[in-house]
Amino acid sequence: MGDKRLPLTGVRVVDFSWIVAGPQATRILADFGADVIRVEYAGRVDSIRIGLISPGTPPGSLNASGFFSNLNRNKRSITLNLNDPRGLLAIRRLLGVSDIVIENFSAGVMEAKGLSYEAMAAVNPGIIYLSLSGFGHSGRDRDNITWGPTAQAVSGLTYMSGLPEQPSAGWGYSYLDHTAGYYAALAALFALYHRTFSGQGQYIDISQIETGMILAGPAILDRTVNGRPYRRTGNPPGNRSSYPEIAPHNTYPCRGEDRWLTIVAENEQEWAALVAVMGEPAWAKTPEFSTNNARLAHQDELDALIGAWTRDFDPHELMLLLQSKGVPAGVVQTIEDRMEHDPQLAQRGFYPTASHAELGEHRFEGVPFQMSRSGWRVEQGAPLLGEHNQTVLGDLLGFTEDEMLELTMEASAV
Amino acid sequence: MNDAAQEQVPGIGPLAGVRVIELASERTQYCAKLLADMGADVIAVEPPGGSPARRIGPFVNDVPDLNRSLHFWYYNTSKRGVTADLAHADGRALWARLVAGADAVLEAVAPGSLDAGGSGYSAFAERQPALVWAAITPFGQTGPYRDFAMTDLTSMAMGGPMASCGYDDLPGSPPIRPEAFHSLHMGAVYAACGVMIALLDRLTSGLGQYIDASIHEACAATTEGSFPNWEYFRRVVQRQTGRHAAAAITPRWQFRCADGHDINMIGGGIPRNPRSWRPLLDWMERLGRVEDLRSPEYDGVMMENPYSRGPASAHIAAVIGRFVESITAEEAYRGGQALHMPWGPVRSPDENLDDPHWHDRGFFVEVEHPELGRSYTYPGLPYLFHGTPGRVRSRAPLLGEHTYEIYVQELGMTPAELRPLFESGAI
Repeated sequence: MGDKRLPLTGVRVVDFSWIVAGPQATRILADFGADVIRVEYAGRVDSIRIGLISPGTPPGSLNASGFFSNLNRNKRSITLNLNDPRGLLAIRRLLGVSDIVIENFSAGVMEAKGLSYEAMAAVNPGIIYLSLSGFGHSGRDRDNITWGPTAQAVSGLTYMSGLPEQPSAGWGYSYLDHTAGYYAALAALFALYHRTFSGQGQYIDISQIETGMILAGPAILDRTVNGRPYRRTGNPPGNRSSYPEIAPHNTYPCRGEDRWLTIVAENEQEWAALVAVMGEPAWAKTPEFSTNNARLAHQDELDALIGAWTRDFDPHELMLLLQSKGVPAGVVQTIEDRMEHDPQLAQRGFYPTASHAELGEHRFEGVPFQMSRSGWRVEQGAPLLGEHNQTVLGDLLGFTEDEMLELTMEASAV
Repeated sequence: MNDAAQEQVPGIGPLAGVRVIELASERTQYCAKLLADMGADVIAVEPPGGSPARRIGPFVNDVPDLNRSLHFWYYNTSKRGVTADLAHADGRALWARLVAGADAVLEAVAPGSLDAGGSGYSAFAERQPALVWAAITPFGQTGPYRDFAMTDLTSMAMGGPMASCGYDDLPGSPPIRPEAFHSLHMGAVYAACGVMIALLDRLTSGLGQYIDASIHEACAATTEGSFPNWEYFRRVVQRQTGRHAAAAITPRWQFRCADGHDINMIGGGIPRNPRSWRPLLDWMERLGRVEDLRSPEYDGVMMENPYSRGPASAHIAAVIGRFVESITAEEAYRGGQALHMPWGPVRSPDENLDDPHWHDRGFFVEVEHPELGRSYTYPGLPYLFHGTPGRVRSRAPLLGEHTYEIYVQELGMTPAELRPLFESGAI
C-alpha cells in the first residue's frame, strides 16, 4: 500500500481460469503488481460473474457481482474465442510477451485447442504453465469432475470437521478453492525464481485434492506408522483437542443469539488464570478439575460448568477480560464482527476501498502480510467483460482496428 | 545470496542454493517445510529442549518422545536441525552466526521480544541489507490484539472460518473448527508467498526486507462467500451441515450411504447436464430405486432444462437420496463420476492411501527413517513441477542432529569450543 513499489511489476499472466481457485491464485499475483489478463469468452462467462448479483445493477449485467469483483480486482479482461483460429493466433501473440499461463479446464481441453505446454513453450520457452484441476492431469481418475466441496470430501478435510458420532459438518465454503489458489500462486513464484537462473519455464500440475491431503499429514502418518485409521470412535473431536490433549478447549455460549467464545487453557498457569477470572469457584478446586489429566477425564462436566458461567457475558467483553489475564480466548466472529467491529483488522487496513464501474465504491479483502519495502494494491475492482480489448489486443499486441473487431465479434457471438 | 544459488543444482528443486534459518515453532514449521521440500537448505534452530511442536502427538507406537512426534515429522521434512537457546548469551551468538549465512529467516515469537534480546531483525537489517525476514504471528506486529494469547481454535474463531462451519440440523450446536491446525496452514502459505516475493524482488534490487504476516488476516481472507454477502447485501451467512453457509437455508448436499459413510452431491445429486439424467435413471432402475422419476413430471422437466426444474427438485433429490442409501459411498462416487456428475465420497484423509489414482500420480512418497531402520509413507507435495520438481529429501531432523555438521563442519567451530556451550545449556 502507499508508495511502495509493487514487486511483481513486469510479470504478465495469461489467465484462462474461472470460478474461485484460479482467480484466487492470480488475485495474489495481481495484488503484488502482476499484469493479469483474464481471457474470457462471452459465450460462456465465468459463472461467478453472475453469482451474487448486487442489487440496483442493470438487469442482465455480466459485471455486477461483488463476489467476482473481490476475486478479480486489479486484473484486465479480454474476450476471445479459442475455438476460432484467429483467437488462437491472438493467444500465441500474447504468450510471446507473457510469463505465466494458468487454467482450470478439464484434462485435455487445452491440448485439444493446440495449447499444450509443449506448444506454448515452442512460442516462449520461458513460459510457466499452471494447470489446476480436482484430480490432477495424470492418473486413472484425471477426468473426474469436482467442485470445491467434492474435492474437500475426497481429500478428507470434510470428514475432519464435525462433532463425534455425527455426520460431517464439513467446511461452509470452498476452502480448497482458496487453498488450491494459494499453492498455485506459490508454485508460480517458485517457478519464476528458478527461471531467473535457468531461463526455463515449466509445466506445473496441481490437483486440488492433493492440496487438501497435504493439510492432513499427521492423520495420514498415524495410519502409515501406527496403523490407526482416522475414522474411529471419537473422531473428529469437535472443538476439543486430541493433539495436544488439553482441556478446557472448546466453544462456550455467550449472551445474545448464537454467540460463542472459544476458550483454551494450554497449561496449569492458564488454567489458574481462567479460574481467577471465573471468581475462584469451588468446583474448580476439586480433584476432578485440578490437573489437565483430571480435566480431560471430566470434560463434559468441565465444559458444562464453564458454559454456565460464560452465557451471561458479551463475547467480546469476556474475550478482552480473559486475554488481559493471559488466557487464550477468541470470539467466533461473524463477517459483521470482522468488517464493522474488529479494531485489529481496522487498524491494519485489512479492508481497503476501491471503485468499480458498475458497483461503485466498495471494500475488498486485503492481503494478510505487510512488507517493509514492497507494497500490494487494491487499485480497482474487477474488469468489465472485455474492458481491455483495446489496450491489450491493440496497444500491447498490435492488432489493427479491423482485426480486433473480428476477434472480439467472434468472441461475443454465442 | 549463497554462491551456490548462482548455479542451480539439478535434482534438488527450484530453491536450490537458498539458505533459510528457522527459529522453530508450530507457527514457522510449515512455511519452512514448503521452502525445504522445494530445495531450500532450511536449518531449524530449536531450544535445547526441542521445538514445542515435538510435544504434539500422535507419537510412534504412542510412545511420547521428542523424536517420535508424527506432527513434528510431517511439518519438518527436508530440514536440518541444531539447537541454540536464545535466552542464553552464547546461544544468541550462535544465532547471529547462523543468520549471517542466511538468505531468509523465519520466526514466530511474540512481537518485539526478539528485538528486545538483540536477536531480532533490527540487529541484522543494517549489516545484512539483502536479508529477508518473515515473522508469522497471530495478529501481526501491530494493532490492539497483537499481544493476545492464541491457539488454532481461537484463531479459527476470530478470523472467521468457524462462523461458516457447523450444523443447521442439530439445535444448539456450536460453530465447528475443522481439525488439523488450518489457521497455521493459512498463515504459513501466505508467509511463504511473502518470502518468495521478497526473494524475487531481491534479485533485481539487491535488497531484502521484513515481512509481517498475520494469521488472523490469513483466516479472514479465506472465507469466500461471507465477504460479498456482507459487503454487498449486509447479510450474515448461516452455517449449514455439510454444505456452504448461506444467507437463506439451502437444500442438502450430503447423504448417508449403506456403509454409514457419506456422499457429497452438490445440488442434491440432480445432474446439471441433461445427458447424465437418463443414464442416472437407468442406474437407479437396475437397483430398483428409480421410483416415479420416469414420469413426465420429472423426466420432462429434466430433459428440457435442469436449471429451471422448479418445485420438482425437492422430490428428485429425495429419491436420489434414498437411492444412495442402498449403495456404499464409494459405489455412489464411482457410479456418479462415470455419469459425469461431481459426486465425492466423504473419506477420511488416510482412506486415500487405498485409492490407486494417487499412486498413479506418485503423490505418496516413501521417506527413510534410518534411526528406526525402515521407511514410512508420507503425503508428498501439493504441486507437480515437471521441470524442477521438489521432493521430500529427508525425514525431520532428530533433536540437535546436525550440531556437528553445521557448527563444526560449516561454521568452523571446534569441538572444544562447543563443549562449554553444551555444558552450560546454550545448545
